[in-house]
Order: sequence, then structure tokens, then C-alpha cells
Amino acid sequence: MDEYLTEGYSEPCGRCAAVDWGVSGEEQFFCKKCHNVIERTRDMVGECSHFSNNNKVSYIAKPKNAAMEFAQEWMVCEGFQFVLKQQADALVSLGVCLQFKTDVMWNFWKRYLQNTRQAFVNNPVSTAGFSAYLNSESEGEPESVPFCEGTSLTGSPSEGRKPASGCSNDRRSGSLDASLYLKGKKSCNLMTMPRTLALCYLALLWVREAITLADLLRLVKERRVPYLNIHDCLPKDMNLFGQDSKIFRVDSIPSYSKVHEEAVDLAKVIKLPAFPTVSQDCLLHPIPLTVRYLLESNLPDGLLVWVHKVIDEASMGADSFLTFDPVKKKPALVCYDIQAAAVIIVTMKLLFKLDDRVEWTSPGKAGSEKKKKVFNVERWYKIMQPAFERARQKMEIEEVRQLWKSHKPFITSQKDKSLVFKKRRIVNHLQHRFQKLTDSIPEQQVSTTTSFSSFQFHWGKEPGSDGPSLHQHRLNCTFKKKGFKRLTNRKYWHTVLNRCPPTCSHHFSDSEPSLPRMYVWLLDLFSFLLGVSQGQVHKEVLNIERCFKKRKRPPVPKSTPPRAATKKTPCPS
Amino acid sequence: MDDIEAELNISAAHFDSAGNETTNEEFIKNPLLIEAPPKSYGNSRETGFHRSSRKCLKIIRDAMLHHNWQTAAEYFTSYIQTLEDTTVQRALLTRDVIWRLGTEILHHLPNASIDDFNAVYEIMKNAGVSNFAKICLEQAYHLLLNGEFDEAKRQLSSARHWRYGKRTDAQSLEMKLINAYCGFLDYIIWSKNISTPSETEDVRSLHEISKYFRQASVTLSEIIKQPGIWDPFVLSYITMLEHNHNIDEALKVLQNYAYNKEFPSNPNAHVYLYQFLKRHNAPPAALISSLRVLHSVVPSHKLMLDFCSLLLKEHPETAIKEALLVCMDLLEYSSWKCDRDAWKCLLKILQRPKNEHNLVKEEWAARRSLWMAFHFRPYIIKMESQKDVRLWRIKERVLKLLGEDLHAEDFRKSPSGRRDRHHNASEDYVNGSES
Repeated sequence: MDEYLTEGYSEPCGRCAAVDWGVSGEEQFFCKKCHNVIERTRDMVGECSHFSNNNKVSYIAKPKNAAMEFAQEWMVCEGFQFVLKQQADALVSLGVCLQFKTDVMWNFWKRYLQNTRQAFVNNPVSTAGFSAYLNSESEGEPESVPFCEGTSLTGSPSEGRKPASGCSNDRRSGSLDASLYLKGKKSCNLMTMPRTLALCYLALLWVREAITLADLLRLVKERRVPYLNIHDCLPKDMNLFGQDSKIFRVDSIPSYSKVHEEAVDLAKVIKLPAFPTVSQDCLLHPIPLTVRYLLESNLPDGLLVWVHKVIDEASMGADSFLTFDPVKKKPALVCYDIQAAAVIIVTMKLLFKLDDRVEWTSPGKAGSEKKKKVFNVERWYKIMQPAFERARQKMEIEEVRQLWKSHKPFITSQKDKSLVFKKRRIVNHLQHRFQKLTDSIPEQQVSTTTSFSSFQFHWGKEPGSDGPSLHQHRLNCTFKKKGFKRLTNRKYWHTVLNRCPPTCSHHFSDSEPSLPRMYVWLLDLFSFLLGVSQGQVHKEVLNIERCFKKRKRPPVPKSTPPRAATKKTPCPS
Repeated sequence: MDDIEAELNISAAHFDSAGNETTNEEFIKNPLLIEAPPKSYGNSRETGFHRSSRKCLKIIRDAMLHHNWQTAAEYFTSYIQTLEDTTVQRALLTRDVIWRLGTEILHHLPNASIDDFNAVYEIMKNAGVSNFAKICLEQAYHLLLNGEFDEAKRQLSSARHWRYGKRTDAQSLEMKLINAYCGFLDYIIWSKNISTPSETEDVRSLHEISKYFRQASVTLSEIIKQPGIWDPFVLSYITMLEHNHNIDEALKVLQNYAYNKEFPSNPNAHVYLYQFLKRHNAPPAALISSLRVLHSVVPSHKLMLDFCSLLLKEHPETAIKEALLVCMDLLEYSSWKCDRDAWKCLLKILQRPKNEHNLVKEEWAARRSLWMAFHFRPYIIKMESQKDVRLWRIKERVLKLLGEDLHAEDFRKSPSGRRDRHHNASEDYVNGSES
């Protein structure tokens, strides 16, 4: 294609004396060998040297400037609107119900714009008004909000909008109000890229879909939900430039806790009422979630009974406990996925003690006359550990090969434009060279071809599975004494259950060396499955144990363990 | 078009902070380590981009250390995207890393062609300003090793006239090297053309050849004047001068190279001088004086044998002490321990008339303990008398001339009762020589 564009130009390059020209992104000729850019641009292709100076050459159309004419003027919130729309579309295509996008997400976005006074109000803030609003904010007068005439936003970009009189003409950004947006980001609860994910999550929660926050972040990492490659989301006539990069460029995927925090803040900003209740038929309830995680971690189905008992005893199944109500004074959004994993861990601790001794000596060989095999922690560990290591390595490789830069580079300022394009060209050429040598295919198209599975491990007898399935094994952790069934394991240990002050955060790394290795490995496994840190899972386990402590009714003697606790190292506060 | 200011600010800061610490305190920061994870305390959090590039670099490094070049190349393609990092300091560091890793990986990939090398070098050269000269040099070396002399010459001549920013010390060193190799390449092209017989184009090619000759002479003579070690350049210059029959100039250059105090001490300089003098039939005194200097620098040089023979030939009476010293010094090196020629030389010296007997006695008394342990241990005697009988015979004769009695002490220690041929032969020989 480049030969067609540079047709006929065969002057050797000044620097390297080669004749190998290409046309760069900004329509200038560059030498493919040494990247020397010359003055000649594509416009001049029409001018042949044998025309004399007396002839007038007129152009019918100037393709270079045509692109600029259609560039829309747009506000930052419009950009975010596009981003959210793309994210919602992606989620709908993955199986979420359509109401999620049309009713819930759209309403949330409208309410958000309303509450942050960006649209759908009588006096929306536009550029000049916004700066005045900010000034007045700093002076401490929240009421006086001068305004300009603004139109309410619709789904499509508005045409014929007059820029407000106050906005300057030197455009440091592609959008109209990026610099003001950045100033007001913290004070006015404005939208940021991680917040888009928080908004999606709130909407998913409202619709009571089975996609947990951990799943959402995994979808983002696998590029099934647009977050990293923003240029592909936005329409071509929206020109991202300059300060927009500070708003729209992402260099990392936000962590679970960050999105969680943002979701709680956002719910307050949007002034949402209490969410629909999370009851047993909803897939976010601990019971269905634990089923999912038990399947994933190859634990026997018999464990489910015990999980139910734990949930009941800790009174975690109550609707009031689980449902998110932003109206309350201290709204608490439960981390459903981490909680489910923590319940499983507590159950395992209950049944097998997990102190690096008891679980390895549990009877596994007895009962061979029965049909089903007995579940044995050692065997489970031996199956699970290699699969876990393999999955972890695979995830590391995928993380390392992640492409962070989108197809079109972000240009931060006019004078950097050529530099940015040059870097992009260099990167492309180098990658092309090395890919030819190693015959490696770029990995980023994988996500669109393989179907998404919410399970990371696959257990069974099929050829592609990670190992044999232990789901059908039966648990052998009770024995009969005096007509009552009792648990084989008589003791239960836990770390100190006092609540820490909110300032201390890095607790887990201090207490981790003193915890039993099996317990830490289990934390590791579940934190890998969910994509969170081990400390967070451990914190949830402590929460559940606190719930046990708080319960009012006496323990039923039948099949619950005694609450004798062997305390481990105290928390160094 | 290049980000010159950013690069210059950073490199200026590096140079300044090395020199003047009081005025440039704000430039002194801790060095940025792109392969270390961020500190756990404080606010230094890593973006996902930086974390994945750090892990990628670690994997590439491990693969390279284990010689998994294919794996390294695959991960390298993912690492290249770090060139677009917005932090200027990181971008500079990764540019360096990518240049060096990329060329190293290319060297080891089986299907890498010279075009790939050239392409990568060109791309990295123009990726920034600070590395241009270095990469040019490296590319020139690579082309030189692959026999592409013209291409190398072209690269270097384009690099010769290239400048940026302040002339710092590092830059001037690179420029020196570039100039030197320019001259060297001129010489190579000239010598290649001279050796192949020119068939048809007579006048023009002669003119070109003489152009190369002139360029090479000028460049090389300038380079050689500066202190440094310029062995290949000196040799090529001397060859050119000899071709022109300019012996005096050549001699002057070589003497300057060998004897000038500003130049670092270089034994090769003396070797070249000696070889030149020998080629041009210089008087033995000159040869001896040049070798004398060489002896003071490298007593174990192989030319020491020539030195000894020269001394004995020219001044058989007066120089015998020096010859003895030289020879004995030579034999004290383990690389000469088993050399028959060296021992023969010592034998020849010792077989001189006996007026120097005192001298020999003195020397031997000083070195006896070392030599008995080094050359005449029972184990060595046994091995040599079985494996290298000729050497052993020479050594025996030397020992006898030095006044030692073999039969008395040393042979007592060797295993008795072994009646093999060699032992018998040496015993008989000793017995025979004594009688």
C-alpha cells in the first residue's frame, strides 16, 4: 500500500541513502530504514516535478483536512457514556439480560449525571459554568452555581453545540472540558475509568446477575469487557488528545478492593435506594456461590451440607445481612465471592482442622467395601496442587504478554505528536521483525475465539481435564457415639478475632508465618481463583468466625463441634 | 523530531551529578531499577503495565541465561511495547535494554539473517540520540566480521559527521573509535583491491584505490599519534608504509609506539618493532636492544629464545651472564617447563668454557631450591623418563653441568625393583657419563 502512496518518489534518503519510503500516520513521508521524516507529504503527490511553475494546480478535495472537519466537539462525560455503552454491550453479549443495559445501567447513568449536575438538570454545568462552579466551591459557597445555556444529552452526539464563551481556544485536549474535569475530579465525584467498572458492578448487582466482582475483573483482564483499549470503543470522530489521556488512558486493571470502594461511594453519590434482596434463589447468595466454588476446587459434594450448616449458624443467610442498602448510615457491600470462599474454608477447618497434622492423618482407607471412595485430603492436595501450579504459570504468562497500548497511540501534546507516532512505528517494525523470526502469533486475539468459561479448572475423565474428579467421593468425618453423630475433629483454631482499628492494613503478612501451611495454601488457592489477595480472604474468614462468636443461641449438641479455640499469635497492634 | 531535550536533560544530569555534587543536588536521585519490584513501604505503587514489563524482563533474562533463545525471542516481542512508556527515564533505560537484548537474541537465533541485524540496528539507532554512535560502531563491527566492508565503511562515514548536544568525554571516545575504524576499513578495502588483480578498469580503479590509501594513511597516522593501544591499526599503517617503501617513517612510528612514555605499556609494540627490524635487516645491536626491553616487560615471551641465541652469537664472552639470566628466567615459567628448545638453550649456555663457573654457581645457588622442586622432583623425573626421554636426557645433562649428583639422592627415592627399559637406560647413561 505504501508503494501506491509514495508512487514515483525515488530520491534516496538523506541519512541512510536507501530508497524505501512509507507514509506515516500524519501523512508525511518517512524512510523505512532509518525513520527519517522529510518535508514531503501526501498532499504533494499530485505535484509532478515536470510541471512548470506557471501552471496552477488546484485540488478538488484535500483529504488531509477532511478528517478534521468531521471531528466532533465532545465533553468528557460523553466519552464515558460511550465507554459504558460498550461495556454494557459486551456484558449483554456474554449472557446478561437485556434489561441490564436498557433499564438499569441507563438509569444509573442518568441519575449519576443528574446528581453530579452534568446533565438532566435545569442548570447543567458546561465549561464556563463549571469553572465558576469550581471557584465557588473553593470559596465555600455551594449554592451559587452560575450557568450557561446547555442542552440535555441524548444518546447521540449533539450537533451544532456552541462552545461556551469562557472556554479558551488553545485546545489542550480533544474534549472540551478535560482540564476542568481534571481539576474537579475529586471534589465533584466525577467519573473515572475504574468507576465505570464500579457502575457496571452496581448495575449487575441490581439485576442480581451471577457475575461477581471477581468475575467482572477477570473479564476485563481477558479483554472481553472493554477497558484497556479505549480507542476502539470511542467513535472515530471523537478525537482523544492531550489532557484526555490523563482521564482515558489506563495503565493497570484496578484491584478488587478499589472497585469495591468505588462502588460503595458511587452508590452514595447516585443516592440509590436499597437494592433488591439477595435471597436463596439469587445466584449471589452464599449457598449457590459455594456450590460453584466447590465444583471449581474439586471438593466433594458432601461438603455442601456442612457449608449450609455453617451459613445457618453464622446467620449469614439472612437477607438483611446480604443485601446492600446504601441508605443506611454505614452501608456495607458484602463481597459475595470472597465470603463464599471464606465459608468453604471455615467448613474445611471445621471438618479437618487444617493444622498441618490432623488432616493428613484422617482415615482414608477405611470403608473400602462401600461403593463410593472416601474423600482424603492428601489425595485431594496431590491432585489439586499441580493443576494449581499450572494454572498459575499460565496466568503469569498471559499477564506478561498483555498488550497495554491500544491500536492508536495517545497524543499528549502537539509537539509530541511526531515523537509518539515515531515510537509507535519503531515498536511495530521491531515486533514485526521478531515475529517473523520466531513465527509467533500475537496472543491478543485469543479471547474472542475461545468461549468464556467461568470455571478455571476442569475436573473429570475427559482428555483435556486437569485431573480426576473428586466430587462423588463421600466424606468420612463423623462417627456415632451414644446414638449421636459427632464430628471426628474435636477442636477448632482461629487467630485473634478482635477487630483492628481501620488504620492497620498489612496484617496478614505479619501473622502469615505462624499460620499452618495447609491453611495458607488454601487461602492461596481461593485467592488465585478469585483474583484477590490472600489477606482479603483471610479477613473474610475472620468475619465469619466473629459471626460464630456473636451468635446468641446455644450450640446444638448433635453435630456441631465444641467451640474450644486454641488461640494462635495475637495481632500486633 | 527526537525527544532530544528530555534525553539531554537526563544524560546531562548523570554527568553533572558525577562531578559536582553540591550544585546539582536536585538531580541526584536513586537510580531507577526497572527489574526490581517497588518498595513495599511508601507510596510507590506499580502500574499493571510496569509490573507486567518487569516480569517479562525477568522471564527473558532467565530464558537467555538458560540459552532458550526461542522462548526469549517470543517474550521479547511482548517486551518491545515498553518503548512506548511515557516516563522518560524508563523509556531511556528500556531503549538501552532492548538494543542489547535484541542483538544478543538475534545472534543466537538460527534463522537470523544479516538483513535482520541491519534492520534492528537501523531501528534502534534512530530510536534516540544518545546511542547513535555506539550502535553505529556495533553495527560496523558486525558487518566487518561478516565481511561486508563497504557497508561498514558507509555506516561509519555517516556516523563520523554526526553530533548532538555537548561534546562529552564519552562521545569523544566513540568518535575516536569511529575514526579509527574508518581508517582501518579504508585499509582493508585497499588491501583487498591490491591483492585481487585488476582486470579491466584500470585508471579509475587505481584512482579509487589510491584514494582509499590516502584516506587510510591520513586517518591512521592521526589516530596512532594519540595515546592508546592501537595494534591492528599500527600494523595496517606499517603495511601501507612498507608498500610505499617509506621505511624511515615506519621505523619512527614503531619507535614512538613502543617507547613513548605516554602510551600504555604494550609488549606487542616491542614485538612489532623487532619483527620490523628483522625484516629490514637491522644491525643486531638494535635487535638486541629492542628485545631487551621486551624481556623487562614479558620475561616469558617466546622471542626470549631468539634473544638468547642473538646474545650468544654476537657477544659470546660478555653477554653470557645476561643470556643465562634470560634463559633461567624463562624456564621458571610453567609454560616453558617442558620445552625442549629452552632446555637445549640452557645446555648450550652451560657448555661454554669454564671461566664463568663462579657465575653459574652463584645463580644456581640462588635458584636451587625452586628448581629442585619445580623441575627435578622424583615424580617428574619418573614421568619424564618414561614419557619424554629426550627432554629428560637434556635435563640430566644440565643438572650434571650444574654440579648436582643425581644418582645419590634423587634416584634413591624412585621405586626400586622396577626393571623397565627407561630406567635402565637412564641409569646406564648416568653410569656411562660418569665413567
